[in-house]
Amino acid sequence: MIQKTLDVSELPPFSVSNDDPLWWGQMLMGVIEVMLFAIMIAMYFYIRLSVDMWPLPGDQLPHKLLPTLALVPLALSFPAAWVASEGAKQDNRGKMLAGLGLNLALAGAFLAMRIVEWHSFNFEWKADIFGSVTWTILGLHTADIIGDMGFTLVLFVIVLTGKYAQKQRLGVHVDSIVWYLVAGAWFPMYVVIYWGPTLVGAPR
Amino acid sequence: MTPIIEAPGETVDPRAGTNEEHRKKLERAWSRPGRIFGFFTATTHTAIGMRYIITAFAFFLAGGIEALLMRTQLAFSNNHFLSADRYNQIFTTHGTTMMFLFAVPMMEGMAVYLVPLMLGTRNVAFPRLNAFGYYMFLFGGLLLYAGVLTNTGPDVGWFAYPPLSGPQYSPGKRVDIWAQMITFTEISALCVATELIATILKMRAPRMSLNRLPLYCWSMLIQSFMVIFAMPAVMVASTIMLLLDRTVATHFVNPAAGGDPLLYQHVFWFFGHPEVYIIFIPALGFVSSIVEAHTRRGVFGYPAMVLALAGTAFIGFGLWVHHMFATGLPQIGESFFTAASMMIAITSGIQIFCWLATIWTGRVRMHTPMYFVLGFIFIFVMGGLTGVMLASVPLDWQVHDTFFVVAHFHYVLIGGAVFPLFGAFHYWYPKMTGRMMNETLGKIEFWILFIGFNMTFFPMHILGLKGMTRRIYTYPPEMGWDNANALATVGAYIIAIGGILFIANVLSSRKTGAPAGRNPWDAGTLEWAADSPPPPYNFEYLPVAAGRYTMWAPAEARAVVTGMRDDRREVLVTSIMDAEPQHRLVLPGSSFWPFLTALLVGGGFVGTVFGFNWYYPTAVAAGVGLIGWFWPKAPRDLRP
Repeated sequence: MIQKTLDVSELPPFSVSNDDPLWWGQMLMGVIEVMLFAIMIAMYFYIRLSVDMWPLPGDQLPHKLLPTLALVPLALSFPAAWVASEGAKQDNRGKMLAGLGLNLALAGAFLAMRIVEWHSFNFEWKADIFGSVTWTILGLHTADIIGDMGFTLVLFVIVLTGKYAQKQRLGVHVDSIVWYLVAGAWFPMYVVIYWGPTLVGAPR
Repeated sequence: MTPIIEAPGETVDPRAGTNEEHRKKLERAWSRPGRIFGFFTATTHTAIGMRYIITAFAFFLAGGIEALLMRTQLAFSNNHFLSADRYNQIFTTHGTTMMFLFAVPMMEGMAVYLVPLMLGTRNVAFPRLNAFGYYMFLFGGLLLYAGVLTNTGPDVGWFAYPPLSGPQYSPGKRVDIWAQMITFTEISALCVATELIATILKMRAPRMSLNRLPLYCWSMLIQSFMVIFAMPAVMVASTIMLLLDRTVATHFVNPAAGGDPLLYQHVFWFFGHPEVYIIFIPALGFVSSIVEAHTRRGVFGYPAMVLALAGTAFIGFGLWVHHMFATGLPQIGESFFTAASMMIAITSGIQIFCWLATIWTGRVRMHTPMYFVLGFIFIFVMGGLTGVMLASVPLDWQVHDTFFVVAHFHYVLIGGAVFPLFGAFHYWYPKMTGRMMNETLGKIEFWILFIGFNMTFFPMHILGLKGMTRRIYTYPPEMGWDNANALATVGAYIIAIGGILFIANVLSSRKTGAPAGRNPWDAGTLEWAADSPPPPYNFEYLPVAAGRYTMWAPAEARAVVTGMRDDRREVLVTSIMDAEPQHRLVLPGSSFWPFLTALLVGGGFVGTVFGFNWYYPTAVAAGVGLIGWFWPKAPRDLRP
């Protein structure tokens, strides 16, 4: 019997690129997170429109200075993540370490500034709906930042020990993609939380 | 394009048992360790899919028993078989079980089992995530039933509207258990959705371009995207709004501090309506598969079918407010959502007509699966008609929260999802077990279920129009509801007899059914190219797609993939549109980490029912689990 065959033995056993199914997996996980934030923003506006004063009496709007300054390390972390991802594709250990390390440092700076900023809030999540929705958005996003920093740290250690191959490099590549989504999601939320109440719809 | 070449048959012959050494190596690479420990390390999609199916069926039986208890209570007026409180817990647990622990996980489990086979690959893209998702589902279900058995079952309806479900009116832990059970099942659904999308887009058989994708895989691709966009909303509703209000005193649903109970309804139904399609769209895929095999022709209007499925998914996100017509909405909102709700009839209608055209022009063989498909068409069309009625605001106001609505959604959900599912059980049972189910008994099952179903739920339309509201535990005789209720209760027991016959058929056919062989229905899609039941590696040689229905293509048009290593778990990654081979991929083997991670995370989530601070150890536990999971395992992960 003659059987037709398609020989794939020449194909590479791995691909550190967006062709790997893992890229889709991480992308979709990111989409889930972004969807969560989108719903939170929709809720924020829904609540905003249903009350007369925003923020509610007794609450002060958060100060803008520190969160605005914190955008600088956050914005710089994008090129850092990109360097790590390029390093992974090129199998360049130095680039990976530099990118991952820089990303960790910048994300850490952002996180530290955010936690300092929290001390200046004059409202708790228990105070009223303004406190609840603001703290929840910040808390969810902070959990994501810490989670992704955890994975970046693990990858950094793996690359540092040198015990890695294509699969771990693929991890570095997709970790950058998650970072773009998680960090990128902050910019619209920043505008909503810090500028929204003063720019649009003065207290009715 | 990688060329397809002709090779002599001595080296490559896809017939069973021709290349023993190759098979043995594959068997070694794809088997899990034995014994009890090994059981928890399984990561093949057939094993996990079967566990999903069996677990979800067990919850289906529990939900069915709850339904019988309710029907017994409502059989006649002034009945005191169940107390009001017990009745509240039972109807809530029934709805919650059927939606979250039966319907969605069952559809996911069938897909986990069938999709990789239909695509001609060896596993899902993320096997450990798949196992993790299963254990999360199992633990969530056990949490709910631990509550039910300790008199802490939720008692606020399956959608848990505040203020009733808020801290003020529902003290105790009943609602918290419900809210966190949602988290478990949503994580599970999201895991499956993610891995199915990646598998369908990147791991199809070579040459299975998107326009050759079996309609069932299309339906799962579309359903998975719906899960991705809908499930975050229910997490916001249950885990954030409800649970945080109850455990750390936020004010999302507390109007006294600016919160809004109506906002909960919006967020819940933004998930809740797509949820119906998340359950129903896979069932449409079952119907297409069964109709194609039993008419032995491709479905009529394939592009129209795919577009109708996608259209249903899009429109499904724009309907949620029709659950809230009675809350006092602006008129423009009501008009918009009425129009959108009626639009869904168009996409559903296209599919019904395409199936009818397929049946009309094909050579129909009337096996049991086909009976269930025809039963589906009858019942689902009736449910669709009452759906169009309910989309109209004046009628909705009249029958809102009555048994008319109960009748409507049982017609669409049982008719639209459970009948196709039973058809699918009969259709794929030979693939899953290697034996045929008893045909005579199958047809008897169908008629009993069909008659019992209509006897139970048709009278509910009339009860609703007569003013019987949902969720009342008893009623006085003057209402004139006794006869219809008695009829419905008899019908419910008839359904139970049908269910028992089905289980008997499943169990007895496993021993005595006729051997099925690879392709007993002479169907066209690739799952029928594998052995029955499939070995853990599915295919000795991965198939190459030859058109939309490879099994119907002439032998000379078909081909198989060679050059894959058989000493490790390799699969082929192909391009998104045309499924051209791109690279090979080594999937992880058996692993204990998914079970351990689910155990740690699940234990932490149970803690969060009692206090928010449990989230911190849960996060640490999840981190430990995921690091152990990801940490490179030499030599598998470190050699090319």
